[in-house]
Amino acid sequence: MPLLDIADLTLRIPTVEGTAEILNDVSFTLERGESIGLVGESGCGKSMTALAAMGLLPESAQTHGAIRFDGQDILRTDEASLCAIRGRRIAMIFQEPMTALNPVMCIGAQIAEGLRLHLRLGPGEAENRARRLLDRVGLPAPRFSPQLYPHQLSGGQRQRVVIAMALACDPDILIADEPTTALDVTIQAQILDLIASVTAETGMALIMITHDLGIVAETTERMLVMYAGRIVEQGPTAEVFARMAHPYTRGLFAASPHAAVVSVGSTEGRVRLAAIPGQVPDPVRRPAGCAFADRCARQTEACRTEVPAAMTVGPEHTAACIHPVLNEVPA
Amino acid sequence: MSLDILREGRAKRRIGGRNRNLWIGGAVTLVLVLTALISLVWTPYPVAGIDIPGKLATPSWAHLFGTDHFGRDVFSMIMVGARNSIVVAFVAVGIGAGFGIPLGLLAAARRGWVDETVMRFNDFAFAFPALLSAVMITAIAGPGAVNAIIAIGIFNVPVFARLARGASMSLWKREYVLAARVAAKGDVAIAIEHILPNIAGVLIVQATIQFALGILAEAGLSYLGLGAQPPQPSWGKMLNDAQTYIYLAPRLAIFPGMAITLAVLGLNLLGDGLRDLLDPRLRRER
Repeated sequence: MPLLDIADLTLRIPTVEGTAEILNDVSFTLERGESIGLVGESGCGKSMTALAAMGLLPESAQTHGAIRFDGQDILRTDEASLCAIRGRRIAMIFQEPMTALNPVMCIGAQIAEGLRLHLRLGPGEAENRARRLLDRVGLPAPRFSPQLYPHQLSGGQRQRVVIAMALACDPDILIADEPTTALDVTIQAQILDLIASVTAETGMALIMITHDLGIVAETTERMLVMYAGRIVEQGPTAEVFARMAHPYTRGLFAASPHAAVVSVGSTEGRVRLAAIPGQVPDPVRRPAGCAFADRCARQTEACRTEVPAAMTVGPEHTAACIHPVLNEVPA
Repeated sequence: MSLDILREGRAKRRIGGRNRNLWIGGAVTLVLVLTALISLVWTPYPVAGIDIPGKLATPSWAHLFGTDHFGRDVFSMIMVGARNSIVVAFVAVGIGAGFGIPLGLLAAARRGWVDETVMRFNDFAFAFPALLSAVMITAIAGPGAVNAIIAIGIFNVPVFARLARGASMSLWKREYVLAARVAAKGDVAIAIEHILPNIAGVLIVQATIQFALGILAEAGLSYLGLGAQPPQPSWGKMLNDAQTYIYLAPRLAIFPGMAITLAVLGLNLLGDGLRDLLDPRLRRER
């Protein structure tokens, strides 16, 4: 049985303008110790998928389908039982270390919070554990006292504190929601290394949410590409990188600086990044057919009328596209 | 190194220049509080000590501020009046903060109809001129220091409720609230442990301002005879008594008037200074 099994998850949130379709038929599984990547542009449902897995959806959200964590359906679990899972068994690293830490509480107290509430540790024991966690995320004593306040730390150090908070209760799943987006490039690599090493050490499963294909390539075994609330392509990371079948995945790859570096090769001059034209459709007015059709170079009449089903394009590799790109990715 | 020097210069300027408000306001408030405290154990003369032969005496070493129409020592009355003003304003601020802050936090935490209900009641209370409503309350419940406290306190509630709601509203969207929720914290614990310390600065500043307004309101009510009742001296009542003798002995109006002005001014300066001190955005400028 997979640790996390999301089946046909559909999520709608009523707004003043109409019902926003946030997620549509999202299905995937996560095994113990596995690391998967959720990739896509802003507003395509990556973070919502993560919040749904933690049972942190807004009250007005309407859901269909199932999210089974260790056999228990998160969507049909009461708040009290969710509290016992959240933070304890599924933990989250937030995107913005500036706002993920309370500016008026010292970092030790914030790390100890989960320990005291979830593991019912006394203040002394919780403080010791917080100290050890700080050591583990690379904030050693005596320079980094638990008595420090967030403003006394740099962005990267703060993100380490956020990671320490997530690791506090030894969770089964670690969800990292754009953990490096707010950080300098040099710090990004350090934070990714830290996440990779703590998950490897403890055998935690990792869900890495990002729009950066480079991060996915480095940290995950399997990847899911999301667009407008649907999974448009999924498969083992190496396989997807070798044969990107969905035009959106290709577009995302072409738009990332990594691809530009690869393609500039020996040719002269500066290469412009290939931006994907247009925008993600408004979740209140999703088109009838393929949501990517408006921005896709390969679209035909058929794309406008039916939502493409996932088709197998390689070993364990599927893409939801009527006209998948089947040649290899030019290196 | 040079940066350190710059920073030091800036710090010095702040103490001398920018935070002058805090020092002056703090000093005036301290004198006010000390005067009130001393009056508990010692006043130059008993405040109810009537001495008709020595009435309307001009200031002298025996009577620093002179005596009133009953021959009571004005200096002693000012001292006891300070205590009266402070107690009324302090308890009124306590009532306002004690009810207002939880209401504001609740409105921000729950939103929706709870928010609407709380805020509409606030608007309702806010719509009446505070002093007029205080007059109404004391007219119904009878004059006296306790009723004055309640009347002033009720009108502090919406002030604190609005401020607490407004300041905490955006904080509920912060990720650390989500993080606290992930750590299995309930809304009440989040509001008290995470939200409240974040908005404490603005609330403290508002409390000093409301304190000053409380002193003013108390003086107004007792001027109208609706506050502390004789023989309990209060600054407002002293002003009222002085009215009759305004041409004969204007000092009887000047001394309590000065006391009210100084107390309100000092507290307002203290509030401004505290705001500068506690608000990091203002601190970074200049």
